[in-house]
Amino acid sequence: MYQDNEDDCKFAACTYFAKNHPGEMCGSNGLPLTPSSITILGRAQRLLTIEHPNLCTYLDVIRGKHERIIVVAEVIGKSLKECTSKFSFQEIVNIAKQVAISMKFLHDQNITHRTLSDDNILIDNEGRVKLFNYGLYYMTDGGSEVSFPLGLPRYLSPETILSGGGPAADVWSYGIILLELSIGKLWNNLKPGPILRRILTLVHANNPAERIAREHDCFEQYKQVPENLRNIIEKCLKIYPSERATFSELVEDLTKIVSKELVEVKTPRGLMGCKLQYLYHLWQLAGGDIQAELKKNYLIKNSPPILSMPIAILLDGCTIGGKTGALFDRRLAKYSLDLLKSRLSHVPPQDFYPLMHERRKEYDAVALPKIIRERDTEYQFYRLLWFHRLLHGYPYTAPYIRAEAEIDIPPLVRGDVWAALLGVVGDIEDQYERIDKETPTPTDRQIDVDIPRCHQYCWLLCGSAGHKTLKRLLKAWLLTNPQYVYWQGLDSLTAPFLYLNFCNEARAFACLSAFVPKFLHKFFLKDNSAVIKEYLAKFWQMTAFHEPELATHLHEINFVPELFAIPWFLTMFSHVFPLHKIVHLWDALLVEGPALPLFMGVGILRQLRDTLLSSGFNECILLFSDLPEIDIGECVKESIEMCRSSPRSVSYRRFTNEAVVKDPMDIVEIPMEVLFTEISPRINLSDFFSLICQDKCCVIDIRSNLLYEKSCIDGSINVPYSGVHLGQHELRALGLHPQKVIQEAIKQKKMVVVASAEDETAQLFSDYLVKCCVPRVCILHGGISALLTHVPSLFTVPPKRNGHK
Amino acid sequence: MTGETVQNITKTFKYSFPTCTNEEIHFNLEVPVDIPHAGSTRELVQRVINMFHVPVYLEEELNEKLAQFVAEETKNFHNERDRKLLNQLKNSEINVEGIIKNWEKLFKDNVMEFAEQKGTSDEEVFAAAYHKLVHSPALETILQVENSYAKTVMNTLKSRDEDIEKLTQKQTEEMEEKVRMLNISSTEEEINELAAQQFEQQALVAGRWGSQLDALRQTQRAQHRAWLMDTLQEYQSTSALNTPSNSPLATFSPESVSLPAPVAAGGARLEESFTIHLGSQLKQTHNIRIVAMDLLDLCAVEQVDNPAESSRRLQTALSLYSGELAGCVVLGEAPPRRPAPPTTRLLAAADLSTEHHFPSMDAQLRDISERLLEPVERRNSQRLQADGAGGAGSRGRSRRDLQTGDIFITKHSNLAEVHVVFHLMVDDSSLRSGDITSRHPAILGLRNILKAACSNDITSLAIPLLLRHEMSEEMTAAWCVRRAELVLKCVKGFMLEAAGWGGADLRTLTAALPANIAPALFAPLAALTPNIFRVSNPVKFKAPNKTDSL
Repeated sequence: MYQDNEDDCKFAACTYFAKNHPGEMCGSNGLPLTPSSITILGRAQRLLTIEHPNLCTYLDVIRGKHERIIVVAEVIGKSLKECTSKFSFQEIVNIAKQVAISMKFLHDQNITHRTLSDDNILIDNEGRVKLFNYGLYYMTDGGSEVSFPLGLPRYLSPETILSGGGPAADVWSYGIILLELSIGKLWNNLKPGPILRRILTLVHANNPAERIAREHDCFEQYKQVPENLRNIIEKCLKIYPSERATFSELVEDLTKIVSKELVEVKTPRGLMGCKLQYLYHLWQLAGGDIQAELKKNYLIKNSPPILSMPIAILLDGCTIGGKTGALFDRRLAKYSLDLLKSRLSHVPPQDFYPLMHERRKEYDAVALPKIIRERDTEYQFYRLLWFHRLLHGYPYTAPYIRAEAEIDIPPLVRGDVWAALLGVVGDIEDQYERIDKETPTPTDRQIDVDIPRCHQYCWLLCGSAGHKTLKRLLKAWLLTNPQYVYWQGLDSLTAPFLYLNFCNEARAFACLSAFVPKFLHKFFLKDNSAVIKEYLAKFWQMTAFHEPELATHLHEINFVPELFAIPWFLTMFSHVFPLHKIVHLWDALLVEGPALPLFMGVGILRQLRDTLLSSGFNECILLFSDLPEIDIGECVKESIEMCRSSPRSVSYRRFTNEAVVKDPMDIVEIPMEVLFTEISPRINLSDFFSLICQDKCCVIDIRSNLLYEKSCIDGSINVPYSGVHLGQHELRALGLHPQKVIQEAIKQKKMVVVASAEDETAQLFSDYLVKCCVPRVCILHGGISALLTHVPSLFTVPPKRNGHK
Repeated sequence: MTGETVQNITKTFKYSFPTCTNEEIHFNLEVPVDIPHAGSTRELVQRVINMFHVPVYLEEELNEKLAQFVAEETKNFHNERDRKLLNQLKNSEINVEGIIKNWEKLFKDNVMEFAEQKGTSDEEVFAAAYHKLVHSPALETILQVENSYAKTVMNTLKSRDEDIEKLTQKQTEEMEEKVRMLNISSTEEEINELAAQQFEQQALVAGRWGSQLDALRQTQRAQHRAWLMDTLQEYQSTSALNTPSNSPLATFSPESVSLPAPVAAGGARLEESFTIHLGSQLKQTHNIRIVAMDLLDLCAVEQVDNPAESSRRLQTALSLYSGELAGCVVLGEAPPRRPAPPTTRLLAAADLSTEHHFPSMDAQLRDISERLLEPVERRNSQRLQADGAGGAGSRGRSRRDLQTGDIFITKHSNLAEVHVVFHLMVDDSSLRSGDITSRHPAILGLRNILKAACSNDITSLAIPLLLRHEMSEEMTAAWCVRRAELVLKCVKGFMLEAAGWGGADLRTLTAALPANIAPALFAPLAALTPNIFRVSNPVKFKAPNKTDSL
């Protein structure tokens, strides 16, 4: 069943079923009760973050079908139970010390072990000791979320048997284990009942350790045990918990006894030197299957469901007949990394230690869609190593991280990378600690209503741990941003950060605090109507800019963005998409900056283009009431393309926290009322200038031909406004030459800039162009006169046309 | 120990510090703290500092002091509780035996190491064997064998019916003769005697046929099992098997396996299917089928030789021991021990062939009614107590009977399309009336059924949409729409709820309307679905190069 070479097994899994709620499934708040497995999953997240040299790191907690929980954790060597040879007293003291150190660590973290036993203390050939699955009591909330009893009878302390027992019960179990190591297995071959009875009778003994030894006819043997070890055992096996030693005392005592220090083991190089979490992740990508091994070892049994069908269900939910609870099997399934090793066997050793300033090789996989890249073992291997190195150097490596994040972000380190992209630095724990998240406030009610509706399909967020943390985050944010109020949607906005930093509340908070000013400046004001109106107006302009035909259609049926796009932008799409799509969306958002969301909105519309074009107002409303499936990968790609190809000033908004623009060359700000009437965006002089220099724009001068002939922008064409029939939506109507020039510009994806003497005509003419389905139309801010003042060098006298009309 | 609840207590944390100006005068701080403390003490310190304007230079000290205080008090809290328990034990104030018995039971019932070792049951062995063979080349043979068995049973049933009919006819003639001759050559006594005789004859014939059928079924079942196990052995030993060589088909007359003549299915039924999405952000996909049909059509296998029928059977056989079961809901008023229509129709359907896997439906019903006796009686008496004196709520049903909304469940291997039948107890008179609410017991029963489906791997389920099997006169168009809307909306809620339970997804929900519904009424009912559920948009194929259009 197990691999012969013990070093090959790096981690192991055990599985059990959470308790089923009997009968009615509604709690006091009228909402369905949280399934126990969800509660366990939420509690277990904290265990995943614990790292200690004497504790087996938890790697994963999986929720299976029908309330199954699978716990994956590191393993080493073998358990004390499997060790058949007897330990010398020196070895026992050595084990005792390491166990005491790890137990002290756990108790300091307020984690009670409760299930300490000889089969979850692992020891390797060097005498290194680690505790395995020490969090069972913690994750099951003191055993209340499972139906089986925790622990083994012979290690239960008297008070635990009487339904009491705090952390001090662990000291008793520890004492029993030391005693067993010294004099041999206790109460062998006895059933639980008699064992428990014997433990309870120990309360009448003065020295339980001696009494146990006598009971086993090992008193002589017990006397042979060195006195200092015996003292320790007796200090642990006191009947009253208050008299027992604590683990910190035990560590002190043992440090005095242990003479031999453990040999330092060099961390292995190459694959085995990687972080265990990475190895586990990559192993899964390489095709490792936790459940398959469990099935092979009969830890997951597949009894056909029809055989365990209940015979009746009464109205109150009481089920008669059917499944009997599955037995709790303490065995483990161990996994070797051979699969991963062979998958990565061809990786040269130097690749495990990438150098930051070395030009790195390109991978073929980059061309593939993100979702596929995220499943590619080798690609992820290289990306993880690289990001690991970059994150190690944060904040000094921030620009590198940004550059790499532009390509993609490995899912395993997404939380860290996002924090880096948002510039989260400093002692965030301390800052977060200082915020009062407990005192009730008037918004609590609304928050309590919203949280049970926020991304509840996610198993982390739908548990009580998720609810509690989300509430704390929201309260903390509101308290630190007194200028803002709670708008519905803030919960959805917080959810992705909580999801990625489930056990790091402070970082989730820091990310949220950095995210809002960057992307949603002033959105959460009590009166945010101006901000939202401007945002939507800009979104509408961007739609006209990139999708003129669609924009014209939506304008015609009067389907305005106020009807559907407010939740998109207020929550940066986190209210409309599931988390696995939001992360990809935000990956791009965090890299590209605050202009991108506008284009993402356009990207979504573009995907629905065909449907929208053939729909009337009512159909559109219906369509957006529940957004159809959107290909996020495609949407992100196109929106980035649109964003990068649009001049910056085109998407200018006044309500950002960027510095106020002073230079007249850079100004594009117009009064809000004007903004709402303009369909095409404005471009500022400096963007215009650089477009001209790169020959990326087609300028249409709509002044009268008299003015044009006097002086005009070099390369512009003249379409006198007075001669345009605004009712005729065909480019042909402009005349042959302008039509040809504009069509050429469209083909070459040039900007079409309307330059005029007055704003009004420019506005009307740009509307006209949009209606003619000309993309990338914008208005030169300030018109010809401003340009003439600031960049007179662009002007020239047009060649006289030879009168052919 | 599992029922352990930690009773929190409140302790007061006291702290005093001198005022800035006068060393003599102290500020005294008293903070009530819950022990064991759930949150972080450092956060509590921050709150205290803010609330009482404690000078910040005391922060470190306060952090340390409070952490110490909480640690100490928590330890005391546990120790004090445990000390009391242990003292009680010492003074024999505790029922030690009870506690130990309880632990013993917990360990024995729940933990593998301490549980009684029990091997795999015959049922499971047979299930595994069947499942394996059905997914092997032997499948076709198995189905053929089962078909021929079913055919034999059906033939026997047919002969029985003919026999009884003949007898009845003969008896009627005899009786008519006698009656005609009344007062001529026969007396009233003679007629009575004849009637008694005839009745006896009938009973005798029925009994004879009954035992013959029973015997036939038992033989078939035994044969079937033995053959299957043999086949499996052969399969495993040769691991290459095309047609089982020892097929019992050899013993059947060749005409019984001859290719059946294709029979056209009955008139096309009204049917419409939808693919729907549920959930606001993450969407789960389900199929909903609105069909006008008799739910029992899903059960009965009428013609064994019909290819359409056998493909239905094939599907059912393949998934019998899988995690993709099919179920249907049948409404009824009768308790399991006194079946009445529609349960009797189901019984007849189940009797058409031998039940090779589970006890016969008869036996299942008997078993259910026996095992339900005690829990139902307990529940009903609890309910009566809760209702107080006004016990009229039980509406004439006996104390021991199932009530509206209760469900009993039978399982079958020989029905056409379903493995599991949920018998939902309803009260016909209340379902006839138009105004039932979402809190009606029948609806709550549906919720329990959906929940059971989720936790027992039933992935397709058929329900009577109007909660009625037949049309009746009070079921006007408005009535039907209202009822269908209520049921669909409730089902939607239950399906959303079921998503969180972590069981099997309900892939297909068939909502059956009475078979005799008017087509004009069917259309508006089918049209309800896209209004209540979000129907998925069809995926449109777009040519990849068409991006910019002008």
